[in-house]
Amino acid sequence: MRTLVVCIGNDLVGDDGVGHEIFRQLSKRALPSGVRVCLLGLGGIDIIDHLDGEELLIVVDAVQLGQPAGTVRVLPWEDIPASDLRPVSGHGIGIREALQVCRRLYPDKAAQNVYLVGVEGSCFNELGTGLTDIVRRAVPEAVGRVVELIDSGPVDQPADR
Amino acid sequence: MAKTINIDPVTRIEGHARILLECNDAGTVEEAFFIVNELRGFERILVGMEAHTMPQVTARICGVCPTAHHLVAAKALDNAAGVEPPPAGRLLRELMYMGHMIHSHSLSLYVLAGPDLVFGLGGAAASQNIVGMVEHNPELSKKGLRLRSLGQKINEVIGGRGIHPVTAIAGGIAAKLTDAQFDRLKELTDEALTLACELAPVTKELLFRLFDDNPVLLDKLNVPSWYLGTVNGGKLNVYDGTLRAMDEDGRIRAEFNATDYVSYLAERTVKRSYAKEVFLNVDGAEHMYRVSTLARMNVVDGMETPLAQKEFEEFRNRYGRPSHNAILQMYCKLVELVYCCEKAGEIMGNPELRGPSRVAATINGKHGIAHIEAPRGVLIHDYKISEDGIIQAANMIVATQQNTAAINKSLKEGAINLLEGGDDEKMLNGLEFVVRCYDPCLACSTHAIGHMEFAVEVRCGGRMVRRIRRT
Repeated sequence: MRTLVVCIGNDLVGDDGVGHEIFRQLSKRALPSGVRVCLLGLGGIDIIDHLDGEELLIVVDAVQLGQPAGTVRVLPWEDIPASDLRPVSGHGIGIREALQVCRRLYPDKAAQNVYLVGVEGSCFNELGTGLTDIVRRAVPEAVGRVVELIDSGPVDQPADR
Repeated sequence: MAKTINIDPVTRIEGHARILLECNDAGTVEEAFFIVNELRGFERILVGMEAHTMPQVTARICGVCPTAHHLVAAKALDNAAGVEPPPAGRLLRELMYMGHMIHSHSLSLYVLAGPDLVFGLGGAAASQNIVGMVEHNPELSKKGLRLRSLGQKINEVIGGRGIHPVTAIAGGIAAKLTDAQFDRLKELTDEALTLACELAPVTKELLFRLFDDNPVLLDKLNVPSWYLGTVNGGKLNVYDGTLRAMDEDGRIRAEFNATDYVSYLAERTVKRSYAKEVFLNVDGAEHMYRVSTLARMNVVDGMETPLAQKEFEEFRNRYGRPSHNAILQMYCKLVELVYCCEKAGEIMGNPELRGPSRVAATINGKHGIAHIEAPRGVLIHDYKISEDGIIQAANMIVATQQNTAAINKSLKEGAINLLEGGDDEKMLNGLEFVVRCYDPCLACSTHAIGHMEFAVEVRCGGRMVRRIRRT
């Protein structure tokens, strides 16, 4: 299945770096053909340039959804929060808005199915300190959830509501 | 005596604004301050670093105009070394910069200010964002977004990265482009010019409607000031030239090289504001001035390229010289957008583009100063370099800092009317619009993305009496 995994995060900013770390881990693995993995420092409108009408888009990012730090959640498109819930960055357009723009302007490029794999972070205001321990320990689980999504596809994938 | 120290953590983050209004006992606003923390101590951080890393390091000051810092740092190192890059080095830098300006201006016009254009200023807040704009006017949005992306890609082909480029060094450009990359640049620049020409008439129509619908704003934002901008043989050039100062009556009062900036620009710390204010020092007096697209349109005699010249003439016929209204900056950006796309095409056609792109440059023990027109106005870098090639002192003058005095003046005038109304939301919106018209380099000026984090403090006799905040 043609799949794009977009990891979002800045490895210089505390737990926001979790997307970057997951990108590193995924890049080391042998993934099925037809699966592309890319890293975007910020989400934002640039994601449109990376999309190419995939059947499945998986967005990986640090989140602040009020769960305990280190919680990994898989959310379907409709449950991806609007941009004012995005952590850390004041600039850039939220991933949800960017995908809405893509669906309207470039329907051929928009992915058919979209999931967010989010890792709850706790530290978003320290530079250069790396991930907190609890978030670092959640990385293997998050990588596992991404791989499960790739393997099983969107149809029978149970999402965490 | 009780003392309150208010350390506001939100001001540490790029993209937040605070406005301080000082009132007298009768409640009349006496002073207004727009508080900015943009440089975040970079001038100090640079001290002790290796000078040759300045183009890479200073690009990180900002994700909004990184290429301006990247290139002006390289130019300051050229100046320190006493070298001029070879023609290809200069052309590649300028072409990279056209890419950046195309990106920055289309982002500003079609994404950030886009909802103002498409919906006007009175529409329903919920739909006034990029998603609403795309629904309402998909053609304009699609072309505007595509143009932004093309600019970013031009920047990337030459700079190695679209944001935070890496190839400009003392003496020129470090990268050697392949034939395939030149072909790619040709495609990108051709498409950019086509799009700019299609967008210009539609955008103008929307701008005129916005101006016609808001005569009061046009009137209120009409703040006379001096202007500072770059000319090359009298015409606009954003990459290089001399700095021209114009007074509020449109007379050219000085023209100088960036290396002489200390004689013309007076920097001062200001009570209760983190941003230093800058004044133009001409003929023995200090003058409040502005930099920006509007300043550039005022100081130049014309444009270097034909289509932009036509747009420029229409602008000047409508609004005169100088035009003092900050709201016109959106129009000025459109003129410059056409210019940058045309100029990029012109550079692509220059056979010198494929020559050697760098010369040797020795910077140890030197002093270098240079300027560039950042998207938001004059940007100056000044480095003193030790014999070991280490930065001993760094000074930067950024666009927003030079506009602060004018922003404060506009805020004061705006606040006097708005405070009397007693409607907090209306006051926040009004003051926010005033700030946005100056397009300061803060993500907070981008109301299109969620809500702007924004706080207004009202003080009376040094005591905070009200704090109005929207997050």
